[in-house]
Amino acid sequence: MNSVPYDNSWSFLLTFYRTRSILLSMANRAEIPYGTLDLMVLKTLDTLGLQHGYGIARRIEQAAESGLELNQGTIYPALLRLEQKGWIASEWGASENNRKARFYSITRAGRKQLAAETASWSRTVAMMARLLESEP
Amino acid sequence: MTALRVFLSRLFGRGRTHAELEREIAVHLALLAADYQRRGLSPADALAAARRHFGPVTQLHETYRGQRRLAFFDAFAQDLAYALRQLRRNPGFAAAAVLTLALGIGANAAIYQVLDAVVFRSLPVRDPASLVQIQLLENGQPIHVSYPFYRELAARQQVLDGLFAVSDFPLRQAVLRGRGSFRAVKGSIVTGNYFRVLGVNARAGRVFTADDDRPAASPVIVLSDAFWNREFSRNPAALGQVLEINGLAATVIGVTPPEFFGETVGTVPDLWLPMSVQSHIMPGDYLDAPSSSWLSLLGRLRPGVSARQAEAALAPLYRSLAGLTVQRPDRDYRVQLQSASRGIAEMERRFGRPLWVLAGITGLVLLMACSNLANLMLARATARTQEIGVRLALGAGRSRIARQLLTESLVLSALGAAAALVLATAGARWLVVWASTASDWRLSLAIEWRHLAFIAATAVAATCLFALAPAWAAARLDVHAALQSIQGHSGGRFRNRLGRCLIVAQLSISLTLLAAAALLVHSLWNLRHQDFGFDAGRVLMAEVPLEFTPTMIRHNTALRQPLYDRMNAIPGVRSAAVDSFGVMDGTVYTCFLSTPERPRQPGEWARRVHVSPRYFETIGTPILAGRDITEADRADSPKVVVINQTAARALFGRANPIGRFISADKTFASKDALQVVGVAHDVRFLNPRDPFGFVLYVPLAQNPAPITAVLLRAASDPARLAPTVRAAFHDVDPAVFVGAIHPLSESVEAQLGNERLLALLSACFGALSLALTAVGVYGVIAYTVQRRTREIGIRLALGAERAAVSRLMMHDVALLSLAGTFLGAAGAIAATRALRTMLFAFAPADYSLLLAAAALLLLIAAAAGYWAARRAARLDPMNALRQQ
Repeated sequence: MNSVPYDNSWSFLLTFYRTRSILLSMANRAEIPYGTLDLMVLKTLDTLGLQHGYGIARRIEQAAESGLELNQGTIYPALLRLEQKGWIASEWGASENNRKARFYSITRAGRKQLAAETASWSRTVAMMARLLESEP
Repeated sequence: MTALRVFLSRLFGRGRTHAELEREIAVHLALLAADYQRRGLSPADALAAARRHFGPVTQLHETYRGQRRLAFFDAFAQDLAYALRQLRRNPGFAAAAVLTLALGIGANAAIYQVLDAVVFRSLPVRDPASLVQIQLLENGQPIHVSYPFYRELAARQQVLDGLFAVSDFPLRQAVLRGRGSFRAVKGSIVTGNYFRVLGVNARAGRVFTADDDRPAASPVIVLSDAFWNREFSRNPAALGQVLEINGLAATVIGVTPPEFFGETVGTVPDLWLPMSVQSHIMPGDYLDAPSSSWLSLLGRLRPGVSARQAEAALAPLYRSLAGLTVQRPDRDYRVQLQSASRGIAEMERRFGRPLWVLAGITGLVLLMACSNLANLMLARATARTQEIGVRLALGAGRSRIARQLLTESLVLSALGAAAALVLATAGARWLVVWASTASDWRLSLAIEWRHLAFIAATAVAATCLFALAPAWAAARLDVHAALQSIQGHSGGRFRNRLGRCLIVAQLSISLTLLAAAALLVHSLWNLRHQDFGFDAGRVLMAEVPLEFTPTMIRHNTALRQPLYDRMNAIPGVRSAAVDSFGVMDGTVYTCFLSTPERPRQPGEWARRVHVSPRYFETIGTPILAGRDITEADRADSPKVVVINQTAARALFGRANPIGRFISADKTFASKDALQVVGVAHDVRFLNPRDPFGFVLYVPLAQNPAPITAVLLRAASDPARLAPTVRAAFHDVDPAVFVGAIHPLSESVEAQLGNERLLALLSACFGALSLALTAVGVYGVIAYTVQRRTREIGIRLALGAERAAVSRLMMHDVALLSLAGTFLGAAGAIAATRALRTMLFAFAPADYSLLLAAAALLLLIAAAAGYWAARRAARLDPMNALRQQ
């Protein structure tokens, strides 16, 4: 096997490769962008009505079609946050395996917030799409 | 809105408890595991997979907790628990710190409590802010006014909502008879509108009305709540009873509320009498005498009238009424209005200055305590370098570390403040008891919210002073160095520099305190060891209060000969004398003084003392020329007088005064001339600071006057004669009231209360500051030695002499001490200037005391430094080098 002479271009390529792989892995197993989990929870509750924490987490994962790496526990701080803001309410009820679980539902203020956030999110996405797709 | 809702729900911890979250997690995990099981995993694997999928539970709890409550409170609670744990682990440090703070804060709070009662607090009456005192100034000095002047002023003025007159002069030392043994009471005579203008109602019965001012009104009394309690155990049947005050029978008609103490701070009358009784309790009609000035005037401003407007309105009114009160041709008079919201500030005049000096001293002590504590905290932070390093390395924020250390300091301050509250209350009481030994002052010292606020504010300020710098130093720590170090080198330079600054501050404060203490102690020594002009040793004094009623004056005047004979017959008495208005007697009787060649000069007055034979012999005042007053000076013999040195010098210069004539009047009149038969040594009459002035001693036999004191020179301990003397009084006349019987030296010492208190407290605080400084210097040098152990080891290993090493350290000590002494000298000179007017027999340029204080301080600092430096010299080089 011939030894490859030292060349700057090779090291450049290696660096590029490493960077790309990191970027790819991030893209494939996306963490939840900051601030969007709240919106997801609100949307889920708006669609499904009364739900417990597991139900919400499962629904979000299903909707993302495995495109999302979610530590399901992380929705609990989000649920507390939303309840403190008065956008969701909660009550105790029986789960499908007949254990006592806390069920969450969206409030009127929550619906209003959801509508506002959805609109703003759509605007952002549309704007980003235009920006990224536009040809030089 | 949302933000507020979040804040509130967090503040009250709404949301979930730890247990609730745990239950939610359990359900969640069960459901998730069931899901995995359905996908074909074994129960154990399913549970493991569910756990993985759920994520870290502990961290979730952590986040959740942070969100559930306000993070700040949570962190604070954590810090608090940690701080308490730390302090429990170091009880010695905690005790030292708390004690230092308690002393520092407590001393300040005690002074503040007394200052508040004496200087700041408003009278407990309706709307005290609108009360004013109407003062007549004679050459700038406030003087009393006559009753006719008051009557016309009250009738004609338009700017006040009421104007009343008050005087405690005739009833200051009144005697209550007819209810068991005779008792001394304090009374005050007031115009009928007194209570109405002040807005004070009776808690039982009624207060005076304008009707009680009518000359024909029957004599009535209003009692203070304290007196009602003392004399009648709060029995309502007291109303309607007849009390005999100085021989006057008067009916009790009411009791004032408990918080009311009259219009003068510090003098708390037991009872009040209306003006209509004046002719019964004073010799002569003072209500129609323009020449008798004895009243203080207080009034309430009309709404919308300012004190200045009222003053301007009263000035022309005074000029038209000037003939109705005392007016001397060579004086300048004017009316001044002064706020009386705090009453007549009699106590402030007497105790204000000493209290402010004490406030200054305790303030310095607190500064001292703070800098000492700061050094302690620095040392502790150094000892904990590694711990703090580990916490920084594990990701604790620097602000969090600083906050934690500050919390510890706050805990110390809180404990110190709590102890200070106890100390302050006890200290304030003690101060008042001390101040009231000389005279009957009474002050209410109830704890008020202001006192608590003062303690809290002082504690917070102290915390800032002693805790901020060490906390900052700790937060600046370099993690790597901290973790590597064994000796605590890291952050050392800053810590060391800070510690040195603190020591210099301590040294300078200490010098200021020492110099102040030296001056005050020296002044007290001067006061005590001056020539009083009499010899108080072995002299017993029995006081007979001057009862100002015509009957009692006649009665007590007649006691002269019987008392004189009886007292001289007591076994163990070398000599005895009776006098009126003599040495250490509160009442001053004055007259003018003139000779044929020299009429009275403006501003001159003389003290007039009526004495029996053997007076000078008994009290030990030397007769410098001529003779004593003797039994031969009878009522029908030529009128004679003994004058003091100062009078002799002023009236006759170098000429021999014996045989010359003087007149106790403005101009010489030969018909009532007195022949000078002797010259007596000058005497400090009322108190050790009393200027000598002119004194006339006249024989009681030729100038009858009520006896106010009996003096006895004992063969041995005078105090043992007291019961015999009291019995002798009773033998002579059972109706006479004898006040205190005590050695004359006690009266003299009682007059030195303020000076003694200042000297004692400043000396104690000075000693304390010296001890703190010694500890501080030792600590800083010991720390330097520890820091430089390696360097010293190398020096020793390379052959440096041990003496040279300790010299190296002592060089440090000298530098610090000299810096501190120079700064302190500035402070001490400032203190000297502030104290100058209070010092007795003090030469302004006398710096010998300051030098002595500085020398003492340097000596102590050097000793403490040497103690620490010795350790450096004794280091074993091998061991020192082995240490990292």
